Amino acid sequence: MPPIRRSRPGGLSRRQFLNASLGAASGAALSSCGWTLANVQTTVRTDPGVLYIYTWAGYTDDELIDNFYKETGVRVIADVFSSNEEMLAKLQAGAGGAYSVIYPSDYMLQKMVGLGLVQELDRARLIGLDLLFDKFASPIYDPDNIHSLPLSWGTTGLVYNTTVLEPAPEDWDYLWNNRSDLTRRMTLLSDTREVMGASLKSLGYSYNTTNPDEIEQAYEKLLDLKPSIAAFDTDSWRSQILTGDLKVAMCYSADANEIAKQDANIAYTLPSSGSSIWTDTLAIPNTAPNPDAAYAWLNYMLQPEVAARICQRLSFATPNQAAFELLPPDVQENVSLFPPESALDKSENLTPIPTDVEELYDRLWTKLTSV
Amino acid sequence: MAVSSPPPTSPSSSEPRPQARWLGPLALLAPSGLWLLLLLVLPTLVIFQLSLVPNIRPGDVVNPSGLDNYWLAFNSTNLTVIVRSLSLALGTTAVCLLLGFPVAYWIAILAPRSRRNLLLLGFILPLWTSSLLRTYAWITILRPTGVLNTFLGTFGLPPLELLNTSAAVTIGMSYSFLPYMVLILYSSLEKLDTQLLEASADLGAPPLQTFLKITVPQALPGIAAGSLLVFISSLGDFIDPELLGGASSMTAARLIYNQFLGQTQNWGFGSALSTILILAVSIAIALLLKYGDRDAYRS
Repeated sequence: MPPIRRSRPGGLSRRQFLNASLGAASGAALSSCGWTLANVQTTVRTDPGVLYIYTWAGYTDDELIDNFYKETGVRVIADVFSSNEEMLAKLQAGAGGAYSVIYPSDYMLQKMVGLGLVQELDRARLIGLDLLFDKFASPIYDPDNIHSLPLSWGTTGLVYNTTVLEPAPEDWDYLWNNRSDLTRRMTLLSDTREVMGASLKSLGYSYNTTNPDEIEQAYEKLLDLKPSIAAFDTDSWRSQILTGDLKVAMCYSADANEIAKQDANIAYTLPSSGSSIWTDTLAIPNTAPNPDAAYAWLNYMLQPEVAARICQRLSFATPNQAAFELLPPDVQENVSLFPPESALDKSENLTPIPTDVEELYDRLWTKLTSV
Repeated sequence: MAVSSPPPTSPSSSEPRPQARWLGPLALLAPSGLWLLLLLVLPTLVIFQLSLVPNIRPGDVVNPSGLDNYWLAFNSTNLTVIVRSLSLALGTTAVCLLLGFPVAYWIAILAPRSRRNLLLLGFILPLWTSSLLRTYAWITILRPTGVLNTFLGTFGLPPLELLNTSAAVTIGMSYSFLPYMVLILYSSLEKLDTQLLEASADLGAPPLQTFLKITVPQALPGIAAGSLLVFISSLGDFIDPELLGGASSMTAARLIYNQFLGQTQNWGFGSALSTILILAVSIAIALLLKYGDRDAYRS
């Protein structure tokens, strides 16, 4: 994993301190009467030479940040989150004014637009929007890219070690059909929507269903598989799949590609009955300080050379056609990175679901992970 | 302090002036008191207030209206989770006590006095590395083809399937919290009056009786404090259950985490769960203070 910069040189200026303490004091005053939970505060960061971004672990590295500094003279400070929900909670808990650029995934972006947390992008300030692949020019989750810029995309599927697993899995059903052989040798993601989605897909339903009956059926099917599941785990499968302690793991394609670089025996399958297609985006919060630097960062990420280098170094697919054309042929032809359109037919984007369905998911997930 | 007051002629005859009597304690206690008030008492009250609002989510107005969140916490699924957390914490406490007592006894009483600090230092050295890193190390040790099973294999023993079980969680947490137990037991055993041990032996008590009737009662406050610290820490730990516990590893700490940082964002229910844990721990502390001490001083 590339090193992440988290250092934050220099202390608060007096003005910043004053702003912060005013904010705290008004917060305390408000709390004496009826108060609103998790009100997003306005900015306390005003230094134009520094850009705070809030991103996924593994989405930035020193080269990216150093080159941006050389180009614009703006220092980038990246904080990392490990789930969309964590990012949303932190923003709502008062860090909304802290970051100029955030990296929500598709469904989370939709949710944040609904909550009024991100601003519309000024298209006149963006250079290179026309370089995106056609299907990313107006994605379902954000028509015409009004609020966001697609940065990377991928799928969810199965990664396996060919030295300990054959035949190769082709669909989700493989897990159920071979469960006695896979007992305690498989992990699923630690993500409610993805795991329930895989079970839904294997039943022929949609990832985004809101029908409680279908969701209950998917839960029952998972319960059936439960004794064979070693763990629900998003990260620590990596070392164990390399050593062969795990035979198969459910994972994101980007992570599988990263591991496959280390060992040629690691392979990735996009399940034939379909799975989820995710897009991670760049967005600017409503309360973002330093918008000039934010737009500079967005334009920097749109540059074909930069996008191509990120794609190669950090192993996620680029939505940028000009960048794709700069990639070496072996990367372009890597089907786990760029699957053919035909393979994506049955896959879906995750979309936000109503609160009562979210609660049903949460209840079933707690049950699944506690019995 | 009253600067202008004349120095007392003798310590026994002079009473400090009235305002000086409370100025001293105030100056000493105010900073930490303020700290506790702002960062512990107030947040706890906010958590309690939130716990009284059913279905509250970020952006909603806080308007306490009932105990619904608490009833939710006691449905069968959530009860299973709470019971699992309690039993994991109790198991960890027992393991730490069993492993920690002999070590603390040896360092405090049997080891050469000049080496004690060095030995203690060696024992707390692992605390200087990241707890996440130490948990990952346990994955390497416990995984099916890991260090432990390679070791067992060389002696012709069958492999153990430990990773992703409750046993693995207990091992990981005991490892994490053992140093705290040892430190507290050490400071308690260090004050042990060894002359009492000699007297007991002189009067004909066998070693086991001496240990149970002389050593343990004197160390009881330390045992209580150490056990409490380990119990509370392991009740709140979610790194070890998450990484070592496998598919059925949901604990109360993780459940609370999910309510705040998960998909549903049900902060009210999360607050109710937190309040229940805070109450449970407070009751445990109160009971130990009441009965633990009395036992210690009766003997």
